[in-house]
Amino acid sequence: MPVSAYLIVSALLFTIGAVGVLVRRNPLVMFMSIELMLNAVNLSFMAFARFLNSVEGWIFVFLVLTVAAAEVVVGLAIIVSIFRTRRNIDVDELSLLKG
Amino acid sequence: MVNLTPWILAAPLVGFLALGLFGRFLPRVVVSVIGCGVVAVAFLLAVWQFISMLGVAPEQRVSVVTLWTWLTSGRLDISFSLLLDPLSAIMLLIVTGVGFLIHVYSIGYMADDPSYWRFFSYLNFFILAMALLVTADNFLFLLVGWAGVGLASFLLIGFWYTRSSAVAAARKAFVVNVIGDFGLMIAIFLVFGAFGTLSYCGVLNVCQTQGVARPAPSTGIALTSIDPNILLAIAIFLIIAAIAKSAQLPLHVWLPDAMEGPTPVSALIHAATMVTAGVYLVARASAIFTASPTAQIVIAVIAGASALYAAIVACAQTDIKRVLAYSTMSQLAYMFMGEAVEGYSNGIFHLTTHAYFKALLFMCAGAVIHALGGEQDMRKMGGLFGRLPRTFWMFLVGALSLAAIFPFSGFWSKDAILGDVLQKAINTGSLSWYALYGAGLLTAALTGFYIFRLLWLVFGGTYRGGAISVHGAGEAASDAHSATGDPLAQVDEPGPSMFIPMVILAVLSLLGGFYGTPWNDWIGEFLSPTVHSVPGLPTSDPRFWIADAVGLGVAILGIGFAWLRYGRGQIGVSEKEAPVVAFVGSGLGIDALYSAVIVRPLLALGRGLRVVVEDRALDGGTRGVGGLFAAGSRGVRTLQTGYARNYAVWIFLGAALIVLYFMVFPQLR
Repeated sequence: MPVSAYLIVSALLFTIGAVGVLVRRNPLVMFMSIELMLNAVNLSFMAFARFLNSVEGWIFVFLVLTVAAAEVVVGLAIIVSIFRTRRNIDVDELSLLKG
Repeated sequence: MVNLTPWILAAPLVGFLALGLFGRFLPRVVVSVIGCGVVAVAFLLAVWQFISMLGVAPEQRVSVVTLWTWLTSGRLDISFSLLLDPLSAIMLLIVTGVGFLIHVYSIGYMADDPSYWRFFSYLNFFILAMALLVTADNFLFLLVGWAGVGLASFLLIGFWYTRSSAVAAARKAFVVNVIGDFGLMIAIFLVFGAFGTLSYCGVLNVCQTQGVARPAPSTGIALTSIDPNILLAIAIFLIIAAIAKSAQLPLHVWLPDAMEGPTPVSALIHAATMVTAGVYLVARASAIFTASPTAQIVIAVIAGASALYAAIVACAQTDIKRVLAYSTMSQLAYMFMGEAVEGYSNGIFHLTTHAYFKALLFMCAGAVIHALGGEQDMRKMGGLFGRLPRTFWMFLVGALSLAAIFPFSGFWSKDAILGDVLQKAINTGSLSWYALYGAGLLTAALTGFYIFRLLWLVFGGTYRGGAISVHGAGEAASDAHSATGDPLAQVDEPGPSMFIPMVILAVLSLLGGFYGTPWNDWIGEFLSPTVHSVPGLPTSDPRFWIADAVGLGVAILGIGFAWLRYGRGQIGVSEKEAPVVAFVGSGLGIDALYSAVIVRPLLALGRGLRVVVEDRALDGGTRGVGGLFAAGSRGVRTLQTGYARNYAVWIFLGAALIVLYFMVFPQLR
């Protein structure tokens, strides 16, 4: 399969993720959308790594996975903490930092 | 010849510092001894160097002591050096001599004042500043003394600073004097620009007489090689300085108000220091004025107008000290008249005799005021001859001398000046110089009138005031009054510390003129190495005798009118005269004019600027800048919505823009 096929899938996944982040108000779903975006990028990294026969893409994928895991840990902790205090996790209600 | 001028300056400096710093803790006796002692030392040193000056040839009577170099910058080379020449020697004698007598007088006059030490500290500072003024060897230190004298007068006029009128008078004197300081500064700049030096040796050729040990070579340029217009400008600015200090029209307004100070201060300002500075300055810079006939005409106009103006206004004063104040202005105008016709030595001659009799008159006025418990209004005096006979005789000597009656000192000096003016008029044949002579004669008549009006109002007739309680009001005073039925029961002659200086000055007023008679003009010859005066009318000329007789005649005429009007008991002012007298008494409305034309517009301008510039422009500006940033941040703040998804939109938009950028400019990759 040509590399463009992978890239098209990757772009579709990234767009779905981005739209998900923008339109959903549930932070858990937003997190999943972000994961989707990250993995879309991972997919393109892998496609290029295979296509260019280079190892750098692999390294970046590992880095992205690590960061994503750490991010989920911190983010879920925040969401749980917010839920405990407010009994509600609609992100649009969390606008205390409004200028 | 010894030059002791540094020590003459040091003595009052020591007194000023000692009394100013520690006087508060010293008993009054010690304050008196220090305050008078240092001036006495200065006077004795001045006498010593004067005598030693007489012992050398006239050509060698100039000496300069350089204490240190004050600053050197390019062509500008200012050293703190003191000049001793006949002019400064005479000025030092007057300043320290008459100054000393006034110090002694103050012991009695100020005896009850709580700020006794402060008074003597200021007096010493006054003497110091004036001595520096007359001994400075360059224009810059002249300015230092000049400003010091202004400061001293400010402090002393406002000595009783709890009286708002005294504070206002002090401020007025200071402001008017600063106008003069400004003129002097401009003159100094012009002198430096034209001559390249500020020392008298370089500018005024006072060191032409040989035998002067001058350390730095004189870099001066000959006076004759200077552009006459520059010389005229220098002279005009020197005149501005002189008339502010010497209270001539139109900068005379501070002098009558300066009567708010204690009477010894008035005596000091009017006789020994301060107002003589302008006369001294013109005499000192006589080389410049001689070379500038236009400036002489300016002086003549100012002097003639001031003499007449002050004499007229003096006739309508009711305050005993204000009469004398205007009289001083009028007499100073005589000195300037003499200097306008290049009779510089006669101007200085009149300065010395005027110092004697005006100090005497102020002391007598002070004795009267002191005896009457602070009363200065002549309408509430009268009949004091019976109570204060000694004061009366002293006053009579001063009055006769002021009115220029033969053989009192004022007669010799004033007729010498009028003779110079007449000589100038005869030489030029110009009507305007005859007019100046006429103004001088008219002033002489008015002088006789106003001073004898004062004499009769104060000492003649019967007492018109209320009961006097000098030594602390209360039971004792009213008891004494009711017991004797005499409101003047407690009025007493001045004590010895006040009376002895009066006697000395009375003797000087009587005999002081004999060093400048037309037959033996000793003072003119003595001053001739410094100031080059034209000779007056010779005694062989019949016109000399006519002029003298006329001068004496008009003075007696003035006294006669005073007797006709006030000598026979009527002192009131009729209703028809009242507005005229009030107008004349207010100084012909000049104060009101200045207030309307200068003071009030300036105040209005200040208030306007405060509202427009201060409130609107300056405050408005700072507030505007603050408001601008506040408005800007209010705008930016709306971006901060607090919604996480909004931030995400911005992030995506930014990322999209970056991608777009690299797509549009692919070569940047």
